[in-house]
Amino acid sequence: MYCRVWRTLLALLLLLGCGDQTEVIVGEAQTAANTKVSGPPVTGDWLVLHTLSDPEQLNPLTSSDAGSSEVLAYVFEALLTRDPRTLAFKPLIAEARPEISQDKLTYTFKIRKDAKFQDGRPITGEDVLFSVKAIKCPFVNAPFLRVYYDSLVDAQLVDPYTVRFSIKEPYFLNESVLGAIAVLPRHYYDPGNLLAHVSVRDLTQDPAKLPEAVKQFGEQFNRNYSRDPLGSGPYQFNVWKTGREVELVRDPDYWGNGKTGIDQPYLDRLKFRVINNFDAALIRLKSGSLDYMEVLQPVQHVRGTESQRFKQDFRKYEYYAPTYTYIGWNNDHPIFRDKRVRQAMTYLTHRKQIVESVLFGLGEVVDSHIYLFRPEYDKTLKTYPFDPQKALALLHEAGWRDTDGDGVLDKVIDGEKIPLRFEIKINSGNAVRKSVALVLLDELNKHGIAASVRELDWTIFLNDVKNHQFDAVVLGWQMSTTEPDAYQVWHSSQAANKGSNAISYKNDRVDEILEQYRREFDEQKRIQLYKEFQQILHEEQPYTFLYVSKRVSAVHRRFQNVEVFPDGLRPIDWWVPASRQKYGSTITSR
Amino acid sequence: MTAYLAQRLLLTIPTFIGITLIAFLVMRLAPGDPAELRAAGGLGAAAGAGISVEKRGAVDEAMAQWRSQYGLDQPLHVQYGVWLKNLATLSFGESFKDNQPVWNKIAERLPVTLTLNVWSIIVVYLVAIPLGIYSATHPNTFGDRVTTLAAFVLFAVPLVWAATMALVFLCGGDFYYLFPPGGLESLDFSNHWPLWKKIKDHAWHLFLPVVLLSYDGFAGLSRYMRSSMLEVLGQDYVQVARAKGLQEKTVILKHVLRNSLIPQVTILASILPGLIGGSIIIETIFSIPGLGQLGYESVLARDYPTVLALLTVTAVLTLIGILISDVLLSIVDPRIAFGRRLQ
Repeated sequence: MYCRVWRTLLALLLLLGCGDQTEVIVGEAQTAANTKVSGPPVTGDWLVLHTLSDPEQLNPLTSSDAGSSEVLAYVFEALLTRDPRTLAFKPLIAEARPEISQDKLTYTFKIRKDAKFQDGRPITGEDVLFSVKAIKCPFVNAPFLRVYYDSLVDAQLVDPYTVRFSIKEPYFLNESVLGAIAVLPRHYYDPGNLLAHVSVRDLTQDPAKLPEAVKQFGEQFNRNYSRDPLGSGPYQFNVWKTGREVELVRDPDYWGNGKTGIDQPYLDRLKFRVINNFDAALIRLKSGSLDYMEVLQPVQHVRGTESQRFKQDFRKYEYYAPTYTYIGWNNDHPIFRDKRVRQAMTYLTHRKQIVESVLFGLGEVVDSHIYLFRPEYDKTLKTYPFDPQKALALLHEAGWRDTDGDGVLDKVIDGEKIPLRFEIKINSGNAVRKSVALVLLDELNKHGIAASVRELDWTIFLNDVKNHQFDAVVLGWQMSTTEPDAYQVWHSSQAANKGSNAISYKNDRVDEILEQYRREFDEQKRIQLYKEFQQILHEEQPYTFLYVSKRVSAVHRRFQNVEVFPDGLRPIDWWVPASRQKYGSTITSR
Repeated sequence: MTAYLAQRLLLTIPTFIGITLIAFLVMRLAPGDPAELRAAGGLGAAAGAGISVEKRGAVDEAMAQWRSQYGLDQPLHVQYGVWLKNLATLSFGESFKDNQPVWNKIAERLPVTLTLNVWSIIVVYLVAIPLGIYSATHPNTFGDRVTTLAAFVLFAVPLVWAATMALVFLCGGDFYYLFPPGGLESLDFSNHWPLWKKIKDHAWHLFLPVVLLSYDGFAGLSRYMRSSMLEVLGQDYVQVARAKGLQEKTVILKHVLRNSLIPQVTILASILPGLIGGSIIIETIFSIPGLGQLGYESVLARDYPTVLALLTVTAVLTLIGILISDVLLSIVDPRIAFGRRLQ
């Protein structure tokens, strides 16, 4: 929910997001001894989870790391959430999806009257308005979060349970951005009501002109609320032992208890144990002091977790992680300006073998940047097979020949004879990307293409990429599991000024599609637009799309109702039958 | 004596400033920008994804805003000056990560690291001193060679490897479950437990980390001990003591041991900083929330105030350690002259 919406929001600009797989899973779960327990779910027991490092802080606005948002997802709730299976919008703190005006510039949310914070106080429109003000307040240490809410220009209370947002420009993802606003209790985060006398519109003005109270609020908010979050979610924050664990306790008086359409929590405690490395975490899992590891390393999946004993206690779940790896060809480079050369490169990349040997089979070859299970994904794309002959023919057709007999193909471009020689840049420390580059290199060198690989430190590498200082790179993007918007990566305007279109891809029709898509509120039309877009990319091969990798999680068998959703596993749904509870049940209502 | 002390104290000031200046520069000139890191985190761009060109301006502005909040937009020398000024009031500033005073973060983790290191120093001394005495009193025998070899083999074993092996084989993976796989206390640890149970639980958790932290210290210290004892054993007064008909035990423990401990005093200098200098390897592998872990995480996050604070504290302790050992040495061994007497 919170996490879901939160990530949707990120997906907006960054093509980030979570997984979306409906069919692929559970290699093993199906064959495993059936441990299904009949009867209704019961409360009780704990879940001890692995987290790689301490959260930076537990403030929903000022924290920015994955560790924090993982914990906070259970404590805070947003206006809207997504159905875990269909990823369609679903109201949470809002009564229903917003009413959108004709001109698509105002969004009106009605707030549920029965929702409460964990201290028992009701959630009202005032809290929602406060949450927006806190984001927009220039003194709150969340400058990067504010960037997302740039186009939100005003918010007003229509009545105590209705909030109206005003937006600068129509954009189909605005609902997602606004729906992601986590609702913070005003009485807790701003007890002095310091923001009462400024409006959201005021807060977007020059900070110097704002009243002193606003500054004071910002300072208090940054300093005093980094360790004791209070929200309306199903789990209350209990304790955070630095470097050891964060513990959440189920709120027995959660407002959503027994309500249909609201996630029902069962486990009494969620303990996020900080374990800094994967080897130690796996050993802890085996020794019983962890119940769940969300991420097993591929080698752990293949070697460390195949014993009978392990399978007796744990079940493994496989699902696609929504990131893809690609080789980007610098489309401005004289060699790669010709699409036939780029196509040839894809024919020369043995993607199946890369998945098998480099990823231990934990992945799937892809031909598009859209997540496999999205409706936008074009299933009709015909994959480029590994076919060196075809590649050579294409290169020949493009004019590449070994005219001087030095073993390297060459061609006269702009009156100058240049050899087919280029460099693939990768960042050091990423063994997978290095292997990918080396597999390709091997193949290229066999066919008279003088490629080489250079490893660079991450910051230097990134700088080179942003400044287009490369011939080819191996990199990855995260994909959106919800409605994608690829404008940022593929629009020609994004090639300038260190934008994300680092390979300088330019295509007028694609630009047109990308612009139209953002203003299109009809989903079917959007899907059609993106299918055409994928066809164009497929033909042009500005990237050689490589694969989407799979993630493997291990969960103790006593947990019931463990299912794989597009975004992965959802511990909120899990429960343990009374007879198998390890830590018992201790929580009673206030 | 007073003048000597004063002179030494004054000398530490430029040394201290030199150390902090170098630390400051090294930290700041290393690649990586905390604002960029935070922007990437805040924007969820784990892979340094960047942002759309339209938003680029807004993000640059946000980064500028963030930098100015921490004074990172000032020239380096100004920043260093501010940092020194704060230091004069014993303030290390606030962490970039969570806006908490750096002192609190250190104070929170100090007891953990102290416990670990005090125990490991005790273990090192308890094992290495007797080992050194044995080697020195039985020079070039089979026993001496075996202990020396063992100490050096241990010295050469990489800590990462040893710790990982211990974790895999002794901590309940697929092999023996003799020790907990990390942490400082059991999952169900409660403050309501009786004292003995708490102590037992802590001891059980600390055992492996302490042993691992100690083993490579055996070689160095026992060799020091051996050589200084051998040197003393060759002195005339030892002959005299023996000639007096004193028992060998008395000769060794009363005359030889005491005098051969003098060089060990200099080693004291390294103990003090060693007390708080956490072991990144052990703390990471065993997930122990000590200063080593804090330092490592802070470096990764380019949390300058925390890193500098840790470096400074270590530097100060080293300087104090050197000072103390100098003074002690001159007390223990009157032959070492104070500066003033030289003139």
